[in-house]
Amino acid sequence: MALHAPPKLERYADVPYEEKERLFQEVKSDPRFPDYLYGCYECGICVAACPSARFYDFSPRKIAQTLAREDVELFYYQLNEDIWNCSQCFSCNRCPRQNSPGGLITIMREVAVRNGLRSAKEALEGYSRVIYKIMVTGTQVSPDMIQADAFPDWGPVAKETADNLELWRKALPPETMHTTTTAWEVSEQTLTELYLIWHMTGVMDMIKEVDEGLHMILMDVMEELLEEKGYALAE
Amino acid sequence: MHGDGKQAEGIPRKERVFQRDPDLPLPEDIRERVFELEEEGEWIVQRVPEPYVEVPTKYGRPKKVPLQHTWHHKSCGQCGHIPGYSTAIFWLHRKLGLAYDDPKDQTSCTGWNYYASATSNAAAQAAVAVRNFAAAYATGFFPLIHCGTSYGHYKEVREELVKHAEQRRQVREILAKLGKPLVMPEEIVHYSEWVYAVRHEIAARRIYDCSAITVTVHPACHYYKLVQGDAIYDPDIYGGQRTAVVTAVATALGAQVKDYSTWFDCCGFGFRHILVQRDFTRSFAVGRKIETMIEEAKPDVVLTHDTGCVTTLDKSQFAAQVHNRKVGVPVMSEAQFAALAMGAHPYRVCQLHWHAADYRPLLEKMGIDWREKWQEFEEDLERIRRGEKEYLTWEDVEAEIPARHFLQVS
Amino acid sequence: MASDVVLVIGGGPAGLEAARGAADLGAKVVLVEERDCLGGTPVFERYAALTHGFQDAEEVMNRLIRDVTAHPSIEVKLSTRVVACDGEVGDFRVALARTGDGASETVHVGSIIVATGFQHFDPGRETQVYGYYEYPDVITLADAEAMLKAKKFVRPSTGLPPERVCFIQCVGSRDRQIGNEYCSKVCCGIASKQAIEIRQQVPNCKVYIFYIDMRMYGYWENEIYWPAQEQYKVNYIKGIATEIIRKGDKLLVRGEDTTLGRPMEVLMDMVILSVGMEPSKGTREIARILGVKQNKYGFIEVPHEGVDPVATSVPGIFVAGAAAGPKDLDDTMSMAGAAAMKAVAAVRKAAVAPGRG
Repeated sequence: MALHAPPKLERYADVPYEEKERLFQEVKSDPRFPDYLYGCYECGICVAACPSARFYDFSPRKIAQTLAREDVELFYYQLNEDIWNCSQCFSCNRCPRQNSPGGLITIMREVAVRNGLRSAKEALEGYSRVIYKIMVTGTQVSPDMIQADAFPDWGPVAKETADNLELWRKALPPETMHTTTTAWEVSEQTLTELYLIWHMTGVMDMIKEVDEGLHMILMDVMEELLEEKGYALAE
Repeated sequence: MHGDGKQAEGIPRKERVFQRDPDLPLPEDIRERVFELEEEGEWIVQRVPEPYVEVPTKYGRPKKVPLQHTWHHKSCGQCGHIPGYSTAIFWLHRKLGLAYDDPKDQTSCTGWNYYASATSNAAAQAAVAVRNFAAAYATGFFPLIHCGTSYGHYKEVREELVKHAEQRRQVREILAKLGKPLVMPEEIVHYSEWVYAVRHEIAARRIYDCSAITVTVHPACHYYKLVQGDAIYDPDIYGGQRTAVVTAVATALGAQVKDYSTWFDCCGFGFRHILVQRDFTRSFAVGRKIETMIEEAKPDVVLTHDTGCVTTLDKSQFAAQVHNRKVGVPVMSEAQFAALAMGAHPYRVCQLHWHAADYRPLLEKMGIDWREKWQEFEEDLERIRRGEKEYLTWEDVEAEIPARHFLQVS
Repeated sequence: MASDVVLVIGGGPAGLEAARGAADLGAKVVLVEERDCLGGTPVFERYAALTHGFQDAEEVMNRLIRDVTAHPSIEVKLSTRVVACDGEVGDFRVALARTGDGASETVHVGSIIVATGFQHFDPGRETQVYGYYEYPDVITLADAEAMLKAKKFVRPSTGLPPERVCFIQCVGSRDRQIGNEYCSKVCCGIASKQAIEIRQQVPNCKVYIFYIDMRMYGYWENEIYWPAQEQYKVNYIKGIATEIIRKGDKLLVRGEDTTLGRPMEVLMDMVILSVGMEPSKGTREIARILGVKQNKYGFIEVPHEGVDPVATSVPGIFVAGAAAGPKDLDDTMSMAGAAAMKAVAAVRKAAVAPGRG
């Protein structure tokens, strides 16, 4: 069993320290930060429980330690290389100090997205259709997304589902579930309210940072419904 | 019960039974703060309607679970990919004569996207949650959460809103613009807690013998690891040391619940991973969960109570066959299993044709003639194809229709 | 009217030593014990060797008990509890009740020493999931102590000596979720002592200790920790466990080996939980009855611990031993002596100037 190689901090030597510091402060100033990080006595319970720690060179303990130590260089490294390995299962919430390494990672991911980090864009490659679906329809991973070419590893059921989708969806007793493009029938008023929420909370700005093309499409779709319903967006 | 150590002859088993010390003060409970905030005028607390059942939670505080007049907060992954799961939950309510509402005025909790991509933020997530709560409140029906992720996520949102006045103010303003009040339900209730609460009523209506069925249970991380005190722990199940949902139901149905050494492991869903980095999810689900279950417990079925877990464990097995891994056990929710045991149609209700791992040996073992049932369902499909019927309906599945309060909010 | 009697509540090491000390100083002492025998936790839980110096616990306790029962100035009341108290330093009236026949009496005393001790943390409340209530082979320090004393250290499930045993430290202590945020002080020493005893009694058994920090104060470092590692080859691994679950006929312990920085799953025949200290039922009850302040964990509060380690919030009432918080035997005996001194001084002062202790 070899010790893990120390992180190659030199990869990010070109990034100015002030920039790394700024991002660190952005994480630290999140209102949830004090709820998620107390102290860490390195008991290892978080790593013991973590599924990602078994598969990746990933350690929730190191995430907590880095933030507690305010090690800006190591923080920037983790922000780019580690945070997308987390499964967000929150098994690490077993922490006896009541730290939440998973929660810290959630904050770090938001900061990465909001700042348009290339590593965030890379992590979300191939994921934009899912963002589109949830933002626009208020449901995620609709029936029509089960296509054999998207989920070949799911076996023949993916093809069978896709081939029979319309028919099979009609063969569902719940009245709201006869849909194919959404998981259930969402009323227009509901969608209007959802779009307003995305706009009022700055989510659209976040998406613009990681995927400009997607952002344009989303804005078009949302603006159309909002205008119809009588809402003007102050952009 | 479960996990009994092997007993050597002559060694008396020291019977250890966990008994909560009544003198010890109970830990702080967030629901006290929720009510205080109502008194301070911060929000409205929607009360759990009667009749409700009180269930035990991890640190001993009772939790109220409403039996009916519930507003079903559906799960996108469930309704999208495993529609038999949602259908079974509704069917159970109908069979027990408990009125519910299946709303269109509901968005997904959007937690899957949030945990996958962080293309959202705390305020947006809280606003989505309370918008749904307000929608439920307007109908007078109490939210019942179908998904484990939604449930854990909403528990977290509740914690944040209780702690952070600024966030409360922010979402209150957003809701005001939508013409809605800020509402927090008295309890956040997962559907599996409802199934637990009515498990004896379900068992009383069981028509198939489950005593030969071996079950392994996978508890969802987001159910019991997020806000840990708020989850069902029952002194009669695992001595109150592990969460009791699902296991209690399987046991009540007479099935044999067998333990395995990776019980506490996540399924490997990963939110993002199952969509764009599936080698992690597959490897984890197969290597840590499925193979261990099969090797140590030889289950006829894996039961769980969350959308992501059913999806992960069911869909990850196919690719593993190429590598000659020991897979091939059906996976479903306890709601579907309970429904099957009560005589629900495996296709019209449980919609098992959407599942990947072969469920037919399980049905055979339970004494359900799947060939006949598939024939019936194919006839339904044919009628729809021919235009004789537009949809399959509840009448078709012969579920009793209770007096119910349907609200069409558009 | 002043009384020159010192009341000691609790007949464990703290109470016994305090009673003996006060009596040797010339005071009349009444010692009240709830159980039907003296000795407290070391006797009741059949301690094997005491951590300090590996002395035989039974021998040490017997000496202490003999000194008290033989002392002409100490009146011992077994199977007796304190049920009420009023008055002030120099002049307390304490109501006693005997279990069994319920006979009651009131004693008039000048000062009181609380020595009602601790109880072990119940592992069923632990944040992690250690399976104490599921697996007979998961035991606590107290269970292990009893087996070591009987020289029959075996796997409860098979009755055979184990091949691999591990300790898990800090069970029920140092945990914000449970609320016992403190360190229980003695468990690292006890676990290391027991590890040595196991290696002595079962030489083929490998022993591991999973810890967060090893609290080996003062001479414990070189008298216990170093010999455990060097002489007895006990394996200390930094990183504790999150779950214990059965795998085959062994126990699977899931932790992190933080030195190597990766999750670790190891199979053990037995797991010993180093459960921490909490205030005993007696301590909680007596605090209420005497009107003495408790700290947020329920232990008797000592307002200025560093300077006056035995004072409570009530003048004339003193505390000794684990009723005040996690204490090892050194602490307990020292506190007992200090409490005896202060209790006797209090009755003498009160005799001269009533109401002032």
